Amino acid sequence: MRIGIMSTAHMHAHAYLDGLKKVNGVELVGVYDDQVSRGRTVANQHGVPFFDDAESMLKTCDAAIVCSENANHKRDVLRAAAAKVHILCEKPIATRAEDAAEMVRACQGNHVHLFMAMPVRCVASIRALRNVVQSGDLGEVVAMRGTNHGYMPGGWFVDKTLSGGGAVMDHTVHVADIMRWIAGSEVAQVYAEVDERIHHKGIDDCGILSIRFENGVFATLDPSWSRTDAYPTWGDVTLEVVGTRGTAAVDAFAQHINVYSTLDGKGTQHFYGDNMDDYLVREFLRALNGEPVLLATGIDGLRALEVASAAYQSAHEKQAVKLARASV
Amino acid sequence: MQPLRVLLIGAGTMGGVHADAYASMPEHAVLAGVIDESPERGRTLAERFGVSFYTALEEVPTDAFDVVDVCVPTPFHKEAVTKAAALSKDIICEKPLAPSVAEAEDMIQTCETYGVKLCVGHVVRFFPQYTAAKQMIASGKIGEVAVVNMFRGGPFPTAWQDWYNRRDYSGGVLLDLMIHDFDFLRSTFGEVDRVFAQEIPERDHLSYATATLRFKSGVIANLTGSWAHDKFHTSFEFAGSQGIIDDNTLKAASLTVHRNAREAGGAQGVSVPLTPTFENPYFKELRHFIEVFRDGIEPIVTAHDGLEAVRISTACMASALEGRPVKL
Repeated sequence: MRIGIMSTAHMHAHAYLDGLKKVNGVELVGVYDDQVSRGRTVANQHGVPFFDDAESMLKTCDAAIVCSENANHKRDVLRAAAAKVHILCEKPIATRAEDAAEMVRACQGNHVHLFMAMPVRCVASIRALRNVVQSGDLGEVVAMRGTNHGYMPGGWFVDKTLSGGGAVMDHTVHVADIMRWIAGSEVAQVYAEVDERIHHKGIDDCGILSIRFENGVFATLDPSWSRTDAYPTWGDVTLEVVGTRGTAAVDAFAQHINVYSTLDGKGTQHFYGDNMDDYLVREFLRALNGEPVLLATGIDGLRALEVASAAYQSAHEKQAVKLARASV
Repeated sequence: MQPLRVLLIGAGTMGGVHADAYASMPEHAVLAGVIDESPERGRTLAERFGVSFYTALEEVPTDAFDVVDVCVPTPFHKEAVTKAAALSKDIICEKPLAPSVAEAEDMIQTCETYGVKLCVGHVVRFFPQYTAAKQMIASGKIGEVAVVNMFRGGPFPTAWQDWYNRRDYSGGVLLDLMIHDFDFLRSTFGEVDRVFAQEIPERDHLSYATATLRFKSGVIANLTGSWAHDKFHTSFEFAGSQGIIDDNTLKAASLTVHRNAREAGGAQGVSVPLTPTFENPYFKELRHFIEVFRDGIEPIVTAHDGLEAVRISTACMASALEGRPVKL
């Protein structure tokens, strides 16, 4: 299986390169980047060829992992689809729902896979949570409460022309996707409070989403970039499910040791659990092999983006917004 | 200074807590009598403290008490407070002050007319982790607060005639439980501009709700209240421009007592987390109220605060019912 990386704008490009190297039968074709010096540096670090032209690399790929800036996902996915190359695309799928829909249709039309790099689907405790819900042990699901706190990543993430938005764009989709997956229902309505109160980078850095699903389940989601320098860790992924017969809660990064080092100047958390990016890469490879997988598809990516877009609209209008789902 | 004589109306859960508190502050207050419509329950409590039992306020000699403490279910607060005011007695009333803004306003007006003081039992203002967090925030420790997450919940409470299970009596978690946090947040961040809430429609022995508050100061708060959980606990996280303050009572138990399985009669061992302190928050609250009546000091929480908390709760209940944000 010949795999290439399209752009290294997203730091996860390193994680995917590392992950691919651990798997037998993978040929790392190389790295393409429209920012030559950035891409060449990463390629050299990983000992793989660098391409300054996407089509040259895609010609020799079976699949590509798209790690460009959010606004450039569409460009890269359309090029890969046209080259009949299967795709794993970073999140959010795009910055606008209509772009995401176009990407999904292009992949459908070219008969290539489009999966989302949403590794929370590959976290063991999240899969176990879904199994618990499906077993009926919690009764009927009535509500969910999720967080995907983070820190302010800087760089293109705070440039709206490249990111499409701040914390809400960055940190809504992982948990919104899992909630959809577990609720087994589409999102019907979103109400959000969104603001820029923490980092003053001219882009939203905090918010609270209230989500109602078609089947009546409701949820809240906190995607804020609220972890500042003194905090011991980058953020979290938590999800609690409330049912009529019980509750269950996941803290995806609970498996950490606490390190209090004078060399660090503050306490830190060191995660020792599964590397979810490794599992994501492996499951993508299984998908390419024709095996059934539980990854988020391009359509799941579109639906998650629609939640984030609705949140921005709701915050702007100060009203609850009914979702209009793009048909794909 | 003479201890004030307190006539307790309502010998249920809160009545018992209040009676215990008065017994621990003999120089401030002494229980003078217990009123309850159930002779069985009222007499038991009265005998425990060696005081007289009555079935109605009209039976009590008016010179036998100085203060009336109202601990009956919410729908009966107005009647008790009105009668006590007409007797020119200062009044302690448990939260929520009333089930509606209109009733709360009437009660305040009545007390003003009769020239009596009314203190409302918003005891969370006396819980040490909340007061500590509030002081830290006021001192600027975490900068400009951006987003707050709070949880308060546990199993469905059992009480007189299962009154919590009647939404028209208890108001569900939005009125009965989350009002604690609405009042605390208002005392910390000022007036609320708008709310958006979601709640499980009335269901047998299940209540769970979320409320998003946007304060005029710009702070965003995400509150969850539950009578669908296991162990009762509360948690908070305040995230600001300079840091984070959090707490979870599940992790703050200073004493855990475990009976092993054999001792517990073959069932799984029972763990009882306790947080013993020499002065509990109810004690501090009631002693403060007595000092307000007797020594004329400024109350930490006023009747007006009680009214405003009801205003927030009822706005949330309307929001949840109508599926739209409500401006205060």
